[in-house]
Amino acid sequence: MTYSFPEEVLEHVFSFLTSQNDRNAASLVCRTWYEMERWCRKRIFVGNCYAVNPRVLIRRFPEVKAVELKGKPHFADFNLVPEGWGGFVYPWIVEFARVYPWLEEIRLKRMVVTDECLEIVSKAFRNFKVLILSSCEGFSTDGLAAVAANCRNLRVLDLRECEVEELSGHWLSHFPDSFTSLESLNIACLSLEVSFSALERLVSRSPNLKTLRLNRTVPLEKISKLLQRAPQLADFGTGAYSAEIRPDVYSSLQEAFSGCKKLKSLSGFWDVVPAYLPAVFPVCSQLTYLNLSYATTQSPDLIKVISQCHNLQRLVVLDYIEDMGLDTVAVTCKDLRELVVFPSDPFVADANVLLTEEGLVSVSQGCSKLQSVLYFCRQMSNSALISISKNRPNLTCFRLCILEPRAPDYLTFEPLDVGFGSIVENCKELTRLSMSGLLTDRVFEYIGKHAKKLDMLSVAFAGDSDLGLHHVLSGCESLRKLEIRDCPFGDKALLANASKLLTMRSLWMSSCFVSFGACKLLGQKMPGLNVEVIDERENLNLLPENAPVEKVYIYRTVSGQRLDMPDFVRIMGKDKNGVYNLL
Amino acid sequence: MDVTLGLLPDSPAGDDGGGVPSGVSTTVKSILTKEDNNKNNMVMCSEVSSSYPVGDQHLGDLELGLGLSIGGGGGGGGLKGKVVAGGGWSQYARILTAKDFKQNSCSSSSCSVSIPNSATSGFKRSATDSVSPTNGNSVVGWPPVSKAHRMPSLANENKSPTGNRISVTEQNKSKNRTAVINDYSNEKARISDKKYHSVKVNMDGSLIGRKVDLNAHTSYEMLAQTLEEMFFRRRSSTEAAKSSRLLDGTSEFVLTYEDKDGDCMLVGDVPWQMFLSSVKRLRIMKNSESNELAPRFQENNERRRTDVV
Repeated sequence: MTYSFPEEVLEHVFSFLTSQNDRNAASLVCRTWYEMERWCRKRIFVGNCYAVNPRVLIRRFPEVKAVELKGKPHFADFNLVPEGWGGFVYPWIVEFARVYPWLEEIRLKRMVVTDECLEIVSKAFRNFKVLILSSCEGFSTDGLAAVAANCRNLRVLDLRECEVEELSGHWLSHFPDSFTSLESLNIACLSLEVSFSALERLVSRSPNLKTLRLNRTVPLEKISKLLQRAPQLADFGTGAYSAEIRPDVYSSLQEAFSGCKKLKSLSGFWDVVPAYLPAVFPVCSQLTYLNLSYATTQSPDLIKVISQCHNLQRLVVLDYIEDMGLDTVAVTCKDLRELVVFPSDPFVADANVLLTEEGLVSVSQGCSKLQSVLYFCRQMSNSALISISKNRPNLTCFRLCILEPRAPDYLTFEPLDVGFGSIVENCKELTRLSMSGLLTDRVFEYIGKHAKKLDMLSVAFAGDSDLGLHHVLSGCESLRKLEIRDCPFGDKALLANASKLLTMRSLWMSSCFVSFGACKLLGQKMPGLNVEVIDERENLNLLPENAPVEKVYIYRTVSGQRLDMPDFVRIMGKDKNGVYNLL
Repeated sequence: MDVTLGLLPDSPAGDDGGGVPSGVSTTVKSILTKEDNNKNNMVMCSEVSSSYPVGDQHLGDLELGLGLSIGGGGGGGGLKGKVVAGGGWSQYARILTAKDFKQNSCSSSSCSVSIPNSATSGFKRSATDSVSPTNGNSVVGWPPVSKAHRMPSLANENKSPTGNRISVTEQNKSKNRTAVINDYSNEKARISDKKYHSVKVNMDGSLIGRKVDLNAHTSYEMLAQTLEEMFFRRRSSTEAAKSSRLLDGTSEFVLTYEDKDGDCMLVGDVPWQMFLSSVKRLRIMKNSESNELAPRFQENNERRRTDVV
């Protein structure tokens, strides 16, 4: 090539490419671009920590400032992945410490993080700024203390739904007095009390604090103090929202909220005492995000708050809101983009609340910008699903959980195939779908035919035969994540679509009919896949080849075999050295 | 060993990755495994030509009983004798689905399923499904609510959230702030869904051990139900009613456990929570072996034996 851009120009151009997909595409253009791009890529995203290994990553990208890693499969959230399966971040942290001394941001999801990892992070990276741990476990408050004590430039400490071994609440006091850079603190998942005075001092000396999500132990009476110290907050999560009814407490709380002119997100509300809810009225019209999923109070109280949230974009609430409350949402929240309704009592068959499919239909009618839905309910009908799909063809994420597995259309007793079929047919931009209820192979036919942009599909207790799985694997062009439990899918569709699996991030199948033999075969013949059989039964080698495995997790990988597997995980078809075992 | 692997379909038009338009028939090579003998690695391959015409109710050969060979020993003739004494492997393999109990009775051996376009299933589920009919608690991970959004405290607090009244409990709560905080951490420890609590389960006469997550259960009854489903297959709801129960002594097996001290105890004597904290592993023991257990149990045993005679 006689003419080419100087490297500096290329680098400058690449700096405008922010999405990883765009950067990946650019790196495929030619050798020069590959080299240029890899030297200047600062942010790395690894969707499956076992798809690649630290060495490979480091070799390619020498100048990394931010890393995001994901570990366990999604169904780990529901106890389907046995403890000890994997997702250990330690080897990554060790390598990063060695090679990326200027690493600033680490985001981890569903990974096992030890105190030692946190200590290394706190000491190895001088300019460390952002630590976001989402659904992680394996560490204690000692690890948090290390981060607090040593990360001089920390801006974000965000513990989202982590399982932390709580030895004491004193860790927060380890932030030194000279530490003033905090912008975001989320400790909502912790259950031990932290020293309030330490918290108050921390908030006072953090002028850039925008996000503060407290845990349940911070009493309501003390929140006003914190809010007064941080009126610039944009995102606030209360502690337990209950106290004796006292006018002075109420008025200072209301005043404190009034002072938060920039508050846009509100959450917390454990143990809510409805009498105190009106204290948030001053900020309701500012809110774009409201999470009331811990507010165990009845619909009328919830409605009083929501009816003032005209600018709400995301609402998370319990089914206490009932259909009536959702009607209010439909009328009030015209800017709503996302609705999440969790079940208050999921293990009881009979409905304890008046929440039905009607509520969802109502919101789909009234909220024209609605894109994302996660809805738990006890009954559904094809006609409701069809209405929803016609009302909201702009849906991108539709997750419906009817609490009872295999529940049919409650009006006609038919399967819900046609309803979900309508969703995939009308919602052409749908990227994520979770289904429930009584479903036959037909629904998969619809999905394979219409869901061309579908990226992630979750299926449970559905289908009749391998044909169902085949429809999905052969028809869904954009599919990257497929998770299936308790469906009568076996070897045929899986083996017939083996090469499809190389275009996907992962496939999870548990309590299906996939056999040992098929797993072995797949593992042998597809070097680009790890076929993990996760099975806790003893004496597995006595089982015949056609016996079904408990769980199989298949993912593409360039890193070869894992070396950190527990005894109940077997990677099929490859021997210890990664050589293919044909026997 | 002759292994032909046609994992990938051979015709370019009918590739497995792209969106195959409806009505195109796909030739698929697939692997069927058949157990002619007990050697582990014998596989036979056959080419299966299947067409998947959309909208047609006939499913084609793909529907052929992989379900059969796992579930009923249709293709696994030689295998049964070798497998565990508890009854063929098929017992453990089969997940009963709605299909088994359809009104229009697809019990024909080819099990071709007609795609229902009319009301076929007025039922919700059968009693012998792997899903408990009344209480979803015994199905692991269902409903799919992550730990953070399960509401453990509701079971202990007032069920119907009060309106604007402040209840006495709440008043007390705000007074005893410390007590409340301690309760939360205790609650977290007690919350059964916080951590897995898997224990091994072995049954006398069976070589295959299983594991069960005790935290997915809230009572002995539920646990026994799960174990019965795991180890004793029930074919129909009528059989379920008659089938023996591990807990009430009508089975030929009894449910025992090994506790922290290594002693073999009968399951059911102590309160559930106490059981959870001391159980190390479970054992489904044959009645005849149960002599070393508590005298009360032996008494029941003897009574039963005389009844039978």
